[in-house]
Amino acid sequence: MFELESSEVSQETAGSAWLPTASRRTFLKGVAGAGAAVSFMSKSAWANGEIGFWAKDLPADKLTEMFNTIVRIRWHERTMVDKMITDPKYRGYNHFYAGQEAVATGVCAALNNKGPFDQLDLVYSTHRPTGHAIAKGVDMKKMAAENDFRATGLNGGYGGEMHLSDKSCGFIGADGMIGPGHVIATGSAFAFRARDSKQVAVVFGGDGTYATPHFHSALNNAALLKLPFIYVLENNLYHQYAHYSYSCPMKDIADAARTYRIPGVVVDGQDVFQVYNVMKTAVDRARAGDGPTLIEAKTYRYYNHWGAPGAEAGQLGAFGYDPLAISSFRPEREVRAWMQRDPVDICRNILVNWGVLTRARADEIEAAAKKEAIDAFAWADKQPFCKPEDGLKNVFVEGVVPARQFG
Amino acid sequence: MARKSWMYAVLEAVQYEMRQDKNMIWIYELTPPVASTPGMPVINLEKEFGRKRVVNTGIDENWMASCVLGAGLAGSKAVTYIPYQGNCMCFQVIQNHAGKLRSMTGGMASMPIVFLLEMTGQTPGFAGQHSDYEIDTYYAHIPGVKTVVPSTPTDAKGMMASAIRDPNPVCYLYPAGLRELMEEVPNEQYTTPLDKAAVRTIGSDISIVGSGGGMPEVLKAADLLQKQGMKVETIDLRCLKPMDTETLVKSVQKTKRLLTVDQSYYTLCPGAEVIARCAENVDGARFKRIAFPDAPPPAAPEMFLWMRPNADHIIAAAKKLVG
Ligand SMILES: Cc1ncc(C[n+]2csc(CCOP(=O)(O)OP(=O)(O)O)c2C)c(N)n1
Repeated sequence: MFELESSEVSQETAGSAWLPTASRRTFLKGVAGAGAAVSFMSKSAWANGEIGFWAKDLPADKLTEMFNTIVRIRWHERTMVDKMITDPKYRGYNHFYAGQEAVATGVCAALNNKGPFDQLDLVYSTHRPTGHAIAKGVDMKKMAAENDFRATGLNGGYGGEMHLSDKSCGFIGADGMIGPGHVIATGSAFAFRARDSKQVAVVFGGDGTYATPHFHSALNNAALLKLPFIYVLENNLYHQYAHYSYSCPMKDIADAARTYRIPGVVVDGQDVFQVYNVMKTAVDRARAGDGPTLIEAKTYRYYNHWGAPGAEAGQLGAFGYDPLAISSFRPEREVRAWMQRDPVDICRNILVNWGVLTRARADEIEAAAKKEAIDAFAWADKQPFCKPEDGLKNVFVEGVVPARQFG
Repeated sequence: MARKSWMYAVLEAVQYEMRQDKNMIWIYELTPPVASTPGMPVINLEKEFGRKRVVNTGIDENWMASCVLGAGLAGSKAVTYIPYQGNCMCFQVIQNHAGKLRSMTGGMASMPIVFLLEMTGQTPGFAGQHSDYEIDTYYAHIPGVKTVVPSTPTDAKGMMASAIRDPNPVCYLYPAGLRELMEEVPNEQYTTPLDKAAVRTIGSDISIVGSGGGMPEVLKAADLLQKQGMKVETIDLRCLKPMDTETLVKSVQKTKRLLTVDQSYYTLCPGAEVIARCAENVDGARFKRIAFPDAPPPAAPEMFLWMRPNADHIIAAAKKLVG
C-alpha cells in the first residue's frame, strides 16, 4: 500500500489547501515541477469520504466515538476561547487546535490508549497540545484545571498548556520547543524495539518542524534502525505567522520521506477517516517491525497562532490580522475557505451517509460534548490555587530545593 | 533625543551600521526587525535592505548562529536575532566554534558578529521552557565571546553599535521583559563600551549589583531604601564578560557591604562571580546574594512569583546586611 514509486497527489487530497496567496505564487510554481509526491492517497482517495477499507469496516460504536472525540475537542476549544474573552479572572491560554481535530482523532483512534504503561502507545505532542491530549484520553476537567494553573490540575499547576502530560494514557505530552521532542520520541521507539514490545511511538509536529535538524535526525535514525515510529506532520500552512514555504522548498513535506527510504503519505487532514486509514496502515507496519512512516496531514487552524486575538465570544474562528504577527499574516479569505471543509461537518456527513448516525443523534452527541466542556471549565474554576512554596518541589524525586530569593 | 523603546533603540543602531556597510546582514526567525516609536519613522530593516540581506528563516537556531559565524569568517558583519525559545539551541556552535576559532587559528579567524539572544525576563504562566532567564551565565562562561546584557534603551543602542563594530563575537542578551521600557535616547549614533558596569545611584552604606531584567526591581528597591535613609550604591553590571571588576571593587571598598540580585538560578549566577571578585580584592566586607532558586520555573503564578526575587526581597536583604 505504501509505495515508493512516484505518483501524483490527487487534487481532492490537496483540496483548498492550495489556493495560492499572491505572495506564494512563485513558490507554488516552483514546487509544481519539483517531482511527484510519494503518495498513498492517489490509490485510496477515490473521492472525498469514500474509502475502501479500515475505517469503513470499524464497528459503529468506534466510529461514533471518533465523532464524539472530534466534537469534544471542538467544544473544548470554543469554550476556552469564550472563557479567555469573557472572564477577566481566567489566566489560561491556548494554542488553539480548532480546525485540526480530525488529525488528532484519526491518529489516536488507531493507537492503544488504555492499559498498563508498558503496553500503551506513546504520543509526543507539541505546543498546540489540547486536541492531541483529548484524543489520547486525557481527562478534560483536569486539563482545564492545569491550563488555569490549579493545584489539582493534570500536572499540579507546574506545567500549563505547553507542558500538559498524562502518563496514564501514554500522553508523554506537550512540548514548548520545536524539534527536540521528535528525536526523543525515537528513543522511546528504540526502547520498544529493544524489549520486543509491540508499542509504537508517535510524534506530532507542525510544518515548521521541517526546517529543524530534529525532523531529519528523527526520520533518519528511525529509518536506519527500523523503529516503530510514526511522524505525524500537521501542515496547517503556517509556522507561527510565516507560510511554510519560508521553511520548506517542497509543496508536500511528505516528499522528504523518500530521502530516508520510508513511506511518506499525504492525507486530507480534514477527513478523520482518511487520517485513520493512513495511520492504521502505519501502525500495523510499525508493530510488524517494518519501521517508520511519515504522514503529512493537510489541515488548517481556525484561530491565530497563540491566544485568542481576533476571536469573538460565541464565534468559531478568528478573522483578520493577528496584531502579534507584525509583518506576515494569513488572508481572511483563506481562513474562511478552509472553514468550508470543516472536520466536524465532514465526519458527521460521512457517518450519516454510512448509516452509523442520524443527524439527530449526532446533534445529541455534540450537545453532550459542549456540556462536558462547559462543566469541565466550571469545575476547574473551583479548584484551589497552588501554594507558593510548592514551587521548590518536584525538582528532584526527593526533598525540596532551598529558597534563594530571600536575603 | 526622543523617547524610544529598547528594541527601537537597538534597531536604530543596526540601521545606522547597515547603511554604512552594505555587506552587513541580519538573520531572524519569527520576529521581524521592525520597530516604531511615536513621532519617529518606523524602522523596518527587511524593507529597507531587502531580503538578500535581511532574511526570515525556518525554525533552526543552530543554523542561524552558524550562518552569522560563516558570514563573519567570510568577511561580513552579521547579526542574528534568536527568539527566547531557541536561545540555547545555538549554544554548541557559539561555545565550540565562535568562542574557539580565533584561538585555534592562531588569531586569523575573523568574527565581527553579534548573537542577539532573547530572554523572557521570567514570565509567569509559561513554565519551564518558556520562563527561563537562565542563559546569562551559560554564555558568559564561554571563553572567546563577549557577553553583555544591557538593561536600558540608551545602553541597548550604544552597546549594539559597539557590538557590531567589535571584531569579536558578542553574545548580546536581550531581556525581553524590558520590551516596554521607554526612555530618552539620542538620535545620533554613539557607542557604549562593552566592558564597563554602570553606577546608577551613588551611596556609601551598601552596594547592590544587578543586571538585565532584574534591574527595574533593584532600582525600585534602592529608591525606597534611600527614602528611608540608607545610602545605596546601585550598579548595573551590563557586561558579564569581560566583567568590570574595578567598578565593583571600588564600590565595595567604600560600602563594605555587597548584595547581588539575579533573576537567574542561584548556583553560579552572575552575582556569584561578582562576590568572588570582590571577596578576592576587599577585606572585611559582608556579602549576600539573592537569585531564583535552582528549580525550573513552575507555571502557576503563585509559585513562580513567590520564587522570583523582587523589590521586597531586595529591601529585606539590604536591611539585614546593613542593620
Ligand atoms: C526551538 C524553538 N524555536 C522557536 C520556537 C518558537 N515557536 C513557537 S511555535 C512556533 C511555530 C511552530 O510552527 P509549526 O510547527 O508549523 O506549528 P503551528 O504552530 O503552525 O501549529 C515557533 C517557531 C520554539 N517554540 N522552539
